[in-house]
Order: sequence, then structure tokens, then C-alpha cells
Amino acid sequence: MLRTQFIAVAIDQAYQRRQQDAEGEFYRKIAGQGPRNNFQSTTQGFYIASADGTLLLYNNNRDPEKLQRLMQQRLQDFKAPSAATPISPGTLDARYNPSPPKGGCVVRVQARVLGGYPPTTDRWKKIFQTSLSRDNLWISAAEQQALAKGQVTQSLQHRIARFHLVDNTRGEPSMWKEKEIRQIKITLDGTTLRGTVHLETDDGKRGYVAQLMGKIEMGSGKVVRFDMVADGSFWGHGPYSGNAPTGRFPFAVGFRLADGTDAADTVPPQGSRGWVQGYIR
Amino acid sequence: MYRTFLPALALTVTILLPSFVSRSFAEEVLTEQRFHQLHKQLQPAADELWRTIPWRTSLLAAQQRAIAEKKPIFIWAMDGHPLGCT
Repeated sequence: MLRTQFIAVAIDQAYQRRQQDAEGEFYRKIAGQGPRNNFQSTTQGFYIASADGTLLLYNNNRDPEKLQRLMQQRLQDFKAPSAATPISPGTLDARYNPSPPKGGCVVRVQARVLGGYPPTTDRWKKIFQTSLSRDNLWISAAEQQALAKGQVTQSLQHRIARFHLVDNTRGEPSMWKEKEIRQIKITLDGTTLRGTVHLETDDGKRGYVAQLMGKIEMGSGKVVRFDMVADGSFWGHGPYSGNAPTGRFPFAVGFRLADGTDAADTVPPQGSRGWVQGYIR
Repeated sequence: MYRTFLPALALTVTILLPSFVSRSFAEEVLTEQRFHQLHKQLQPAADELWRTIPWRTSLLAAQQRAIAEKKPIFIWAMDGHPLGCT
């Protein structure tokens, strides 16, 4: 139904509800007709709207059968508005339209909890427990040039650690503070990358110790292969990623160079949200 | 005796504990074989249903397509990007 009868769009509403440009205005026009119309807090959910911005449905129920039923009902009643005209993007609000660094590259990052959950028959718990997360790592032009010389800059090592060695498999993760990087060492020998990392909060309630291994290949000064894995044990959780396994659990993060064929390749890193200068320095 | 022993013990612990901790992390060496196995395990299946949907990431681009194709817009709006983050 989504493939053929709707135009499907996926957004982080934390951007659209704030951004001062045509995209933000159109989103607020639609969401403002629903129950979550206070743009100082979350407006997350599923919306169906016509191209003139008329809200046809708001729903925030995760039951797929219910949502499917509601979508079918709205389709039956739908009439395309005759007066709708394409909205020009105009000048973009730069704060909420970050672009990958010029001359740099984008790497897909995916994480998974490899064990430690108690057995469950709960449908939703099973989904969370087996989920594979997705984020993007941005690498700057200078960092890419350093890789070509066999160096993994401190800025890249710390960005990987702080924003990408996180458990984002059950919800928005807590990123690591600079001081929570207890130890990190990543080196490149030829095409083989190796490293170790120890991340831990002051109170010791959340941490990750892991080894890293990767294969990095360059061509004409550009990264043409960036395959890397972090393999180790994680403990604890953040306020939006509860229900982690008890104690230490095996946790791995995989990295692969993005080729631009996936719509998600264009999504800014979660760690850059509203603060891209803090993410990539 | 204990007074002279304690600083030496503290020094020994200070020196040896980090290396012990580091060694315990490094004991399970990440081999090439495990690296390849894990890297494969951390890739999404190409046929996962949600990946077959032509998601757009711009609401205005979706609005233009909705006019052209005379279809309603379906917006998946989350905290954290639905195609990223989690």
C-alpha cells in the first residue's frame, strides 16, 4: 500500500517542527491540525495529508493492523485537491539542513545486541531484541586525506567512539561525553585497521569495552572501502533505550562505506542533531 | 611493616590493574574470521519489507510527487530519524 498508493516520507520531526523554512512551515501546517500541535515538544507519529496540507489522519499506534485499516479508510475517502501547487523549498534553514562534509565521505553504521536478553514470547520485545540499528558516520576531507597516509586522526577516533559506539537498538541512544572515553587507540597498518576502546560513565552504570578491526582501501585519495567492526561488551542503557539486558552483554557495531543507493545514506548522523559543529570539528 | 607494605601494594595495584584490565579485554582477540562473520551479520537483508518502500526524506519533495501522482502523503515522523538512529 505504501509503495503504490501513498507518497511515503520519513522524517525526524525534531528538525521539521523547528526549522524556519518552507519545509518546516508545511510540516507545522499539517501537524498543527492534529493533537500534537505544541511545537515545543514532540509531534511524533504517523500522518496522512493531502498535497495542500490538509491533515487526513494522525495516529501514533504501533499496531500495524490498526494502522493499515486506518490507511485503507483514508484512501477510500481521498480526493486529490485540485488547488494544490508545488511548494518551492526557498532558502533552507541551515541549522536543520546539514550536509555531509565536502570532500569527505559517509559510512553506514549498524549495531546489534548479540545476546543476553531473557527468552520472551512478547512480539514487541522480540522486535527490539533482534533489531539492527542504522546511523551514518561523516568523515571530513582532512580525515580522509589522513587515512590515505595511513593515519586515523584523533578527531575521527573520538567521533567514532562518542557518537557511533552507542547502543541505539531500542531507541535514541545516549552519546558519550569526551571525558567518558577512558581509552581509545585505532591504528592503520596498510589496509588493516585495529583498535581498542573503553568507554564508561563516571558512575560506571554504562560502558562499552571493545576491540575494533577493519579493512580500509583508498583510490585516488578517496576511501573506496571502509569495512569495520567493533566487538565487545556493553552494559547499561540511556533514558530512551531502556530494557537492555542485565549486566554485561555482547554488542557489535558494523561500518560500511555508503554508496548513495539507500535513502538513509542522506540522513544526518544522530549525533549531529541540531549541533553539527559539535559533531564534526 | 604494614605501613611500608601498603604503599608498595598500592603502587603494584596501580601499575598492574590497568594492564590486567586491558589484557582481559584483549584476551578474546577479534580474528579476521570473526571480523568477516560479524560484518556480514551487521548488514540488513536486502529483502526486508520496509527497505522496499521508496521513502523520501524531504516533505516538500513528497508534496510535489503527491500532486503529480494525485496520491496522499504518508508521513512517518519520529524522534530520531526513522531511516537512521534506530
